[in-house]
Amino acid sequence: MRRRSKIGYGAGTRVDRRQWLSMLGAVGAAGLAGCSGDDGGSPETPDNGGGVRGLDGIEERPTVSGTYDTVTSASFTTLNPLYNTESGAGTAIGRALDQGYTFDADDEYVPLLYDMSTDDGEVWVFDVREGLTFSDPYGAVDAESFVYQIEELHQSDWALTANATDWTGVNVERTGKRQFQAELPEPQLLWPESFDPLEYPIPKGVLEPYVDDENVEGLRQDEELLELRFSGNLGAFVLDEWDRGAGTTYTRNDEYYIQDADNWSDLFSNAPYFEGASISVVEEQASRLGALETGEADSASVPPERFEEFDNDPDVSMLQIPQPFNRILSVNMRDNGWNAGPGNLFRYVAFRQAIATAIGTDDLIEGVYRGLAEPHHTWQPAWSRWYPGDDEVPFFGTGDRYGAGPARELATTAFDRSAFDYGFDGDRMVTPEGDQVTLDVYHSAGQETAQLIAEYAAQELDDNLGIELDVQAIDGVRFNNEFWTATPEGGTDTVAGESVRWDAPTPNNPGPRSVTSNEEWDMSLVFGLNTYPRNPLTNAAFFDGANARYNPVGYYPEFDAGGLFERARTAATEEELAAAFADVFVELAREQPYVMLAFGDSLTGYNPDLRGPIEDFANGWNAPGWHFAE
Amino acid sequence: MGLARYVVLRVVWAAVVSLVIVTATFVLMAAAPNPAIQEAATQAALEGGDPQQAVERERELRGLDEPLHVRYLDFLTSIYTLEWGWSDHRSQPVTEALVEGLYYTAQYSIPWTVLTVLIGPLVGVYSAANMYSWRDHAATAFAFFGYAIPNFFFGIVLLLLFGVWLDWIPVVYRTDVAVFSLENARQLALPVFVLVTGSIGAVMRVSRNESAEFRDATFMKTAKAKGVSPFRAYAYHVMRPTLVPLSTTLVSQLLAIFLGSSLLVEVVFGIPGLGRLTFEALVAQDTNLVLGATFVFTFVAVIGNLLEDIAFSVLDPRISYDDR
Amino acid sequence: MPPERFDRIDWEEHAGSSGFSASINTVAFVLTALSVLALAGYDRLFAAERETVFGALARDVGVGPRFESLGIGADPGALEYLFVITLLLFVWYLLAPLYQNPRMTRYYWDRFTRNRPAVVSLGWLFVVFAGGLLGPLLLSAPQQDVLAGHQPPVYLSIDASNVARCLGETVGGRCHGTWRYPLGTTQAGEGVFRNVVYGMTISMQIAFITTTIVAAIGITFGTVSAYAGGWVDEALMRFVDIVLSFPTLLFFLLILYIYGAGLGMFILVFSLFAWGGTARYVRSKALSIAEEEYVDAARISGASTYRVVRRHVVPNTASSIITQLTLLVPGFLLAEAQLAFLGLGDSGINSWGQLISAGRSDLAFAPWIVLAPGIVLFLTILAFNFLGDALLDALNPKTEAERGR
Repeated sequence: MRRRSKIGYGAGTRVDRRQWLSMLGAVGAAGLAGCSGDDGGSPETPDNGGGVRGLDGIEERPTVSGTYDTVTSASFTTLNPLYNTESGAGTAIGRALDQGYTFDADDEYVPLLYDMSTDDGEVWVFDVREGLTFSDPYGAVDAESFVYQIEELHQSDWALTANATDWTGVNVERTGKRQFQAELPEPQLLWPESFDPLEYPIPKGVLEPYVDDENVEGLRQDEELLELRFSGNLGAFVLDEWDRGAGTTYTRNDEYYIQDADNWSDLFSNAPYFEGASISVVEEQASRLGALETGEADSASVPPERFEEFDNDPDVSMLQIPQPFNRILSVNMRDNGWNAGPGNLFRYVAFRQAIATAIGTDDLIEGVYRGLAEPHHTWQPAWSRWYPGDDEVPFFGTGDRYGAGPARELATTAFDRSAFDYGFDGDRMVTPEGDQVTLDVYHSAGQETAQLIAEYAAQELDDNLGIELDVQAIDGVRFNNEFWTATPEGGTDTVAGESVRWDAPTPNNPGPRSVTSNEEWDMSLVFGLNTYPRNPLTNAAFFDGANARYNPVGYYPEFDAGGLFERARTAATEEELAAAFADVFVELAREQPYVMLAFGDSLTGYNPDLRGPIEDFANGWNAPGWHFAE
Repeated sequence: MGLARYVVLRVVWAAVVSLVIVTATFVLMAAAPNPAIQEAATQAALEGGDPQQAVERERELRGLDEPLHVRYLDFLTSIYTLEWGWSDHRSQPVTEALVEGLYYTAQYSIPWTVLTVLIGPLVGVYSAANMYSWRDHAATAFAFFGYAIPNFFFGIVLLLLFGVWLDWIPVVYRTDVAVFSLENARQLALPVFVLVTGSIGAVMRVSRNESAEFRDATFMKTAKAKGVSPFRAYAYHVMRPTLVPLSTTLVSQLLAIFLGSSLLVEVVFGIPGLGRLTFEALVAQDTNLVLGATFVFTFVAVIGNLLEDIAFSVLDPRISYDDR
Repeated sequence: MPPERFDRIDWEEHAGSSGFSASINTVAFVLTALSVLALAGYDRLFAAERETVFGALARDVGVGPRFESLGIGADPGALEYLFVITLLLFVWYLLAPLYQNPRMTRYYWDRFTRNRPAVVSLGWLFVVFAGGLLGPLLLSAPQQDVLAGHQPPVYLSIDASNVARCLGETVGGRCHGTWRYPLGTTQAGEGVFRNVVYGMTISMQIAFITTTIVAAIGITFGTVSAYAGGWVDEALMRFVDIVLSFPTLLFFLLILYIYGAGLGMFILVFSLFAWGGTARYVRSKALSIAEEEYVDAARISGASTYRVVRRHVVPNTASSIITQLTLLVPGFLLAEAQLAFLGLGDSGINSWGQLISAGRSDLAFAPWIVLAPGIVLFLTILAFNFLGDALLDALNPKTEAERGR
């Protein structure tokens, strides 16, 4: 009898998010972040003279009415803007405190608190908006409100803030009362798109005593920060109360700066258009959906199997929003992966392709996602402007490249390359000793979709490759600590005939394949990653070589990844950039560094009277203009 | 040895029990891997710092570099001086978190306990007095139904029925309504009903079966023969001896449901009480909060058992505390 | 001649032996239990990892694939072996004595059958028991099929928009159920009926193993404490205090978090912390009985302590113990379901709780996933209660006398 243990109801989601966001480097930006691409030049202030998507056709200034109530599944750990790493809490903070900038539905940079500009991508100038004030007694928001926290906290070695990694090696300097500049170690034209320079304003007065004492506990626990008492005119709402178990409540901020902001259209001149707002923590999905149905909540996410039902419900307006966050089957290529026998087969491209071929993505999308997901063939969603095109990308797990035949063929290729005598005995895959190949697959506990996908993968691999999978649920935090990350050690290894040194190992890439986490693991569905359709260059952190910043699975590219990313980085024209990215994504699709499964859409139900939400990843960027129809 | 002395000894013992349990919890937690340290190492490494140094720093900060017995003594001191530390998971002091949780838990626990204690024995004794009548059968059926239906299952079904389909009660628990208001009564009606249904069955059964034994006892016949009114006879001669064995069931039943089912009911109905708080703290490995909550639950259990024991001695004069 | 009381029978006399020597039932139990242990040892030592114990046995003994043809292809784990041993205990110490004393059995059976709900309950529990034992041998384990998710039970229908692919007929936008899945399917497309049958095995394992452990520890502690008195009583009861005061759920969660825990650990932890109530109850009953005159009389006439406990205290507390255990079994089944509901159960098993947990988000549109196991769980708990109640009545002549009047 097999034993499996699990703990952590609903905890997985949070960690998934945290993982994505740790790569984003920005906190809570997910709700505000825009979608694909950029012209590669300097960001410009967009022209908002015309209609605003989602709010087009709104002629008159809306009236202020009602409260905007939403429900969420997980409670917030902290609302301290300096330390929050959860997207749910990011949304809760965002109601009362804006960040530096956002992107609109046309992927254009939109300044909120500061405008960013650059000539060469190396020196970026930040211009802080006029008329921003903190609550008394902290005064006006100026350059110092950002520079001080960057220099004294993010770049310090004691404060360990959430944004610390974003500012490593960046030289920040105040150049005027409301202007400062940042000098990057190497030019980055798409810096804002990486969300690294996205900051909250924090009054110097709050921080000073802690900075003097290097008191990290005090800073974490400061009530001004936790209760967002300094938010002044910087957010659409004022936080009334954070009831730790129940959520947050807000009242309208009559002074919201966006009312007078010149780059926001007249539509926003009396924003926000709700008397108040609330976010309720409701753990039971059935209750969240009930609240959406009865109108107690104005917005809630809906599982795929209920989408059509709610879509047909006149009391709910459903939105299907494509996401850049993927669902991947990670295979451990390090020394503590592949525990079925000697020689890690995951290290062969052909074997990873065999796995991708064995798992049918059509049935996965139809059965698990009910068709509400995009196929995932390369490290970019098909709607991204950087997607190379269906003709170029090799597809696995669909059409000719799906099923037992092609999967076994690829696996046999891998067996031939392996020094060990793996093979098929009948329809079972067996080790050199003749034993059944059995592997573990982990998924986050408490996440129904994850479990379903794990069981689906187990069955497909059993049917098509004769591999037995042991499905195990695990708490996301535990998986992250004991399986996914390891103590950075560094070292050297020979990759594609060249000696590679790990100079700056991180917990997510602690060294060559010989450096392993505490616990052995074979396969995992616990974490999904961001594919960065807005700035695919950020993906270099995953793939620009064996010693990339983030490489928990121990993937060694067999193509010149570093060179291709360098080509993209130094591209002079958009065509060059697109060509370089196309090469990268074709190679990644071929090599399957992570076995790519699908991009699940975000399915959100709204109050049908609500005006503003759009079916785009940028949904929410213009939230201050959202309102109820008369 | 008199009753007073017995009570004092019993109270002292209760304190000892709490100590044993808190110690066991400390040992278990000390054996658990501490994620905070891991986090510090991760952070330091991300910044290009020395992870080893960061681990040392974090250990020092949390006092984990001290020998185990020193940590244990520090721990005991802080527990008994109510310095329960900071909850990382909720970003507030542990005591504040517990008080907040208790505030919501008490709102449904008090009505539920009172109703169970009042209705359970009365219905049970009434059943016994009218044994095998249709009333007894109805009460028995209700008792069995309540006891057999899983609380959380019943809760979800009722919430679906009355909250979503009939729209009589709110689906989302609101914390911003006054305690003594109609809204609060409406949103608490279902959780209280579910819990009473769950806890009353066993109490009714035990009191029915126990009182059935005393009902036919000679002293009842004597009382009846003497012309004592049935009510008085039941109150004095059946109720009281029934309460002796019942007290065990009652307290353990209430405690079991308090420690177990209330957590589920809180999850189902979205009440941010003590149970849900504990559960979330465990999942998040918020050591301080887990310990604090354990201590509160232990305290409740120890006090409950203490009261039960004292009640046991007072109610049953046949068992002399001199012997113990 | 007054009928013999089931719990007043002198077992030693009836089993044809006396004093310290073992009864025939004990001998039979020890022999059968030893053979199970031998099989378990064989499994551990000789059967290869990917081989079932019966397969290995057939190979070594040379009977070929005969066990498979008999449907015995199971690969039991430690829990299954323990389950079999508790079953043997049940057979040799409860069923065998009933068989050995047909006259007494008939007497109690007659009284028992007068209580109709109890007979129905016994029937239901027999179905669950038989389903739990035979189901896994006759039906293969539920298989996932994501395209067949949320199929309705036969004769029922569901809005076609809620299913990925309808296996039955779609009439007027509603998908109808098929006989392939008589009770419909879960989100993963596993048959609810098969899941419920497999859940019977788990529930029976929980019921038998936990009650055996709890009864053994609780009765021992309770009677010893009550009879011994003095410092022994004090020490034991203080220990019970600690056991009772410990928040079991919290403790289990801690263990689960630190070491991980499956069904075996669940059974162990819950039974090791659940006997406190039984011990106290037994003690309080035994104390009242110990003050009865006949116990004094027995003692004065020179009966040994062991004899007094065995002949007077244990039989006289039997009815209370049975009530207690009746209330305990459903408690364990509930606890398992509750943990599974919170997502803390053993996800590797097909228990009813897991099924309820899997279907709870779908209750609004696919209620059978929760209702089928929920109702089966409810009925099983109900049956245990009715049965316990009937046994109490049957064993308590006072109540019966009252009823006859």
